[in-house]
Amino acid sequence: MRKSLLIGLLLLCLVASAASAQVTIRVAHFYDPAAGPAHQMNLRWLEKVKEGFEAANPDIKVEFEWIKWDELDLKSLRDFRAGISHDVIYTSPQYYGLHSVAKDLLDLSPYIEKWPKEVLEDFTWSAVWSSAFPWGIPLGIHTRTIVYRRDLYEKVGLNPDKTPENLEELVEYSKKLTQDVDGDGKTDIYGLGMYFGPSRATIELYFAPYLWHFDGELWDKETKKATFASEAGIKAAQFLFDLIYTHKVTPEWSMSGTYDDVILLSFLGEKIAQAEGYGSYWIGPLEEKGWIKGLFPPTPEGQAIVADVYPTPTKYKAQFTNAWNISIHALSKHPDESFKFIEYMIQPDLLYEYPDAGLPVRLSLWERPEFKTPFYQKWQVAARNGRPMPPTAHYGDLADTVAACLQEIFAAKAPIPETLKKFEDEYNSKFAGE
Amino acid sequence: MRLLKPGKAQTGLPEEKRYASLYRWNYESRLAYLFLIPSILLMLLFLVFPLFSGIIMSLQESTFAGEVNFVGLKNFRLLLREARFLNNLKLSITYVLGNLSLSIPLAYIAALIITSQDLRGLPLFRGVFLLPFITAPVVSSVIFLSLTDASSGPVTLFIERITGERPVILATPSLAMGTIIFHSFWRSFPFVMLFLAAGMTTIPNELYEAAKVDGATGWHLFRFITFPLTRIHLALSMLIITMWTLQDAETVFALTRGGPGYSTEVLAVRLFKDSFINFNLNLGATVGVILLSISLLFMVAYLRLMQER
Repeated sequence: MRKSLLIGLLLLCLVASAASAQVTIRVAHFYDPAAGPAHQMNLRWLEKVKEGFEAANPDIKVEFEWIKWDELDLKSLRDFRAGISHDVIYTSPQYYGLHSVAKDLLDLSPYIEKWPKEVLEDFTWSAVWSSAFPWGIPLGIHTRTIVYRRDLYEKVGLNPDKTPENLEELVEYSKKLTQDVDGDGKTDIYGLGMYFGPSRATIELYFAPYLWHFDGELWDKETKKATFASEAGIKAAQFLFDLIYTHKVTPEWSMSGTYDDVILLSFLGEKIAQAEGYGSYWIGPLEEKGWIKGLFPPTPEGQAIVADVYPTPTKYKAQFTNAWNISIHALSKHPDESFKFIEYMIQPDLLYEYPDAGLPVRLSLWERPEFKTPFYQKWQVAARNGRPMPPTAHYGDLADTVAACLQEIFAAKAPIPETLKKFEDEYNSKFAGE
Repeated sequence: MRLLKPGKAQTGLPEEKRYASLYRWNYESRLAYLFLIPSILLMLLFLVFPLFSGIIMSLQESTFAGEVNFVGLKNFRLLLREARFLNNLKLSITYVLGNLSLSIPLAYIAALIITSQDLRGLPLFRGVFLLPFITAPVVSSVIFLSLTDASSGPVTLFIERITGERPVILATPSLAMGTIIFHSFWRSFPFVMLFLAAGMTTIPNELYEAAKVDGATGWHLFRFITFPLTRIHLALSMLIITMWTLQDAETVFALTRGGPGYSTEVLAVRLFKDSFINFNLNLGATVGVILLSISLLFMVAYLRLMQER
């Protein structure tokens, strides 16, 4: 009796010590099962990654925690200050200026230095990497193109296989595509959809590309000052203003609503013939609408039928790219295990199935036949053409300031140079020199 | 202790009875204070502490790296020199005055109607009137967003039918502010109306009857009975609406996010953006302190209005 009790106790101790040897890492993401099928798909992918990782690493347990997508970066920072730890956390590269000052994310350089050269080169081809390193590892590529209706091109006598190659052609094409279908004197289909609402999409997808095209910069790295009121900024704002009021190819309602409403839904709703700033995360809805076939998920036979895309005809490296990145919180008690999870997560075969990747971040994936279709090759050109936002710690303020400035120029028809200068001065009075 | 100290009898009570009375008073009052301690502690923790913490934050400057420095009134000077902030201030006042000038007179008239006439189905109407008030602010904002949608919103199409032009309501500064004020009025009106109506029903009928006997006209009845006796309800409802409007960030943010430009960015929205979106906590706290000061000014003004005879 005493002997069996002793064995029992011994077994209990063994089980307890085995349990205590198991490490639990928490993975913070933003996919909400109640937020619709897209989120559910991504959540299923995460569950699959978790199961595979736990099976391969029985001593590490993974737990998920949910944080709203636009709160992730600030929560990481707030919790760091409050001494609350996380392990693996989704982050946005636009906030890396802030993270680099706050030091709430772990510098991943020591881990990445151990990677074989071929793995490193598989990632570093994209601008997304330069904006992510050393605070995060990109899980995909979010880049943008101009999406257009091939049928409307044909209807107005344009060749759907010959898309605009410069800004003059872009305006010319957009004018031809702007139509009053029912003859009531009002525009029914606009030639070029853009978005100038109070959101970060305005600076990232509609102002910065043209500012960069005219050789300007949003922010100066040396002086740490906003510089968007330059000659290039004036040209960019004037170009956008003219699209609405001079050429009348972009609707005035581009200033209201959300990015999704004005670009995605308006294009699918046939209110605009071409939409600029169309994200690689919106290929699925084109397939659902039946405007492309076999392209989402990608297949080697995939074809653009009614809708197609082309890279925005701005200068080289004048487009914005970003991605969801995966990072480790600086207060993580298990950084090694967390990085192990990240390495598991970014295996090519797993990333290939990640619905929110947008486009593959690993160059080797682009070698697969399904990404060799003309449609995806155009996306790759756009991805190669990308660059990140400036690494200011006050990126949110910079984005809000530019959006508000453009809105004042467009809504109140305020003088462009003076208004740009007014908003730039206001930003610099608070944040210059950081 | 002083109360228990035997002294010269001044009340004329027998000495023993007086001691017993003093003891009871002292024991009961101490017990009452004892029971109050949890609420006082909670109030200190959740009201006074955050208030002082906010004031202290407004006098500090902190870096993202976590360094905190005392900077005195620098944040206030920075804001008061900023054209954007002065615009925020002006818009907040416009928002409050706009909402008050619509909701108070119209709700007062509506309250007079529903209390003076025996309307059929009044209880049902009272319930229906309360719907905007009980609808979640963000939900009602979404309703207004769809009403003013630039391509298919019924209000937009109605204006187009009248003027021949299709306005982009929420991208036109004056119309956007007008929409925000109207939305707030739509939400406040039922509450103010029912609050005032409740006040009007407490006025004794005899007063009106006596005045009528003395030859008072309808205007006289309102001027000398209804209005003076509902002034306290009026001031209270004005105070409540002012506080709601001044501190309203959610509906403005949901409708326009402060745009186009900064044309609808009221103080509460600025506070929200600074504190919770862009993480400028010290500037956000400074806006909060200024907002609190304005609220206090309004409160004092209304309290004085209530006390006036």
